[in-house]
Amino acid sequence: MTLEVKNLVKTFDKRKILNNISFKVENGETLGVIGFSGSGKSTLLKIIAGILYEDSGSIIFPKDSEVAMAFQYSALFDFLSVYENIAFPLVERKELRGKYTQEEISKIVHEKLRMVGLEGIEDKYPSELSGGMQKRVGFARAIVTNPNIILYDEPTAGLDPVTSTMIENYIVQLKKDLNAACVVVTHQLSTIKRAVDKVIMLYQGDIVFRGSVEELLSGVNPYAKQFVNASIQGPMNIAT
Amino acid sequence: MFELNKTLTYQGLVLFWKQIKDFLITLGEIGVNFSRVVRYILNLRINISETIEQSKRFAFDSLPISLTIVGMTSIIIAMQLAPELARQGGASYTGMLSALVMVRELAAVMSGFAIISMVGSSFASEIASMAVTEQLSAMKVLRVDPIEYLIVPRFCAGVLFMPVVFIISATFGLACAGLVSNQTADLSLLNYVTSMWHGLYVRDIFIAILKSSFFGGTIALISCSCGYATRGGAKEVGLATTKAVVWSFLAIAMWDFIFASIFYL
Repeated sequence: MTLEVKNLVKTFDKRKILNNISFKVENGETLGVIGFSGSGKSTLLKIIAGILYEDSGSIIFPKDSEVAMAFQYSALFDFLSVYENIAFPLVERKELRGKYTQEEISKIVHEKLRMVGLEGIEDKYPSELSGGMQKRVGFARAIVTNPNIILYDEPTAGLDPVTSTMIENYIVQLKKDLNAACVVVTHQLSTIKRAVDKVIMLYQGDIVFRGSVEELLSGVNPYAKQFVNASIQGPMNIAT
Repeated sequence: MFELNKTLTYQGLVLFWKQIKDFLITLGEIGVNFSRVVRYILNLRINISETIEQSKRFAFDSLPISLTIVGMTSIIIAMQLAPELARQGGASYTGMLSALVMVRELAAVMSGFAIISMVGSSFASEIASMAVTEQLSAMKVLRVDPIEYLIVPRFCAGVLFMPVVFIISATFGLACAGLVSNQTADLSLLNYVTSMWHGLYVRDIFIAILKSSFFGGTIALISCSCGYATRGGAKEVGLATTKAVVWSFLAIAMWDFIFASIFYL
């Protein structure tokens, strides 16, 4: 087991965003987290990443685990070049400072850029890149420390279908290359179909569906059915 | 009518309480950030290359406007002071009075205002933009503390380089005042410089340098803290910048009062 979330509760302004959420993700496995906007998906990811704190419950992973996150809008440092962005944790993180020589850092950065299919853009700045390229640079930065837990927040949001497919392929490839446990928050069914092994669905802070991609698409669960069919009619009230 | 007044009073009280709460929260955030910055500095965890980068901004970006403000102010003071003193037979005091005013008060405060507008506001908006575009969150996930990477170097740059801006501005201001006195009151430059030396005390210079250092550190800390605490979008970035500027102005006035009370009362 690599990542376990146990009885997680998070409240904002007396409103329960996450209510007793529990799941496990093994090495080499990808969990998809779906749900309507505001259902607590990104909050869940931020708690696992350590950006937000839970009210109660626990996130369990081995002590030496490395957690990485690819952000929805990439969150690249706009004052640094692509090279500097990817090298950032190797250069600036306290425990890694001085561990690598400039040559080693250069080698690692180029290797990660190659893994996401981007070479020759080291000197460019984030503002000079397309949305898809920014996402991939974000991926390269996330995997530069060889994480065993990778979190993706809406990895294909705002991208054209072809670029989305490419991003989904990279999610699958990176999981294989790093044997990582991955959590993908997404609205996109294509991402679920291509890049995910199992799925949980959140609604008003609760898990209303848990199962495989096939079970999700089968339409047996009424919540899953409404989501897959993009239907206004169903157990979920989209106004909430 | 009574009901309307009651509602307005209630809304006024709610607004007042919100302002008090905001004030206390901001004060708390600045205090917490300051303690973390001090802890990093005491542990010698200072990013030297980033500090040099920020020092350049402090020293160079603000210098033209600082020189302009201090220069113009000293010219205006000399224009009014020198002819009047000459009429009263006290032209030889012009240099001394200019030095006293410039070193004790004007150069540091005016340079502070220049730095708030040029550097402080850019610190605040820059870090606020990073906050709303999740760059600060990304930094935390990459296990690099934004306080160490962003605020410590800016704070150190402020503490170290505000005195440099002050010294250059004060020297420039005194030179401007000398030239204007020469033109408006026919005071020779030699007389001006001789008189100026009588008004320059080593103690005053050291106090002014110390005060500038406090100004620089305070401006950097407030500006970065206001940016760091930003949540939301473009509107909040603007609000954070405004808040940083207002708080920095108030803090400068407060420090100036404290220094005057301690050293000149």
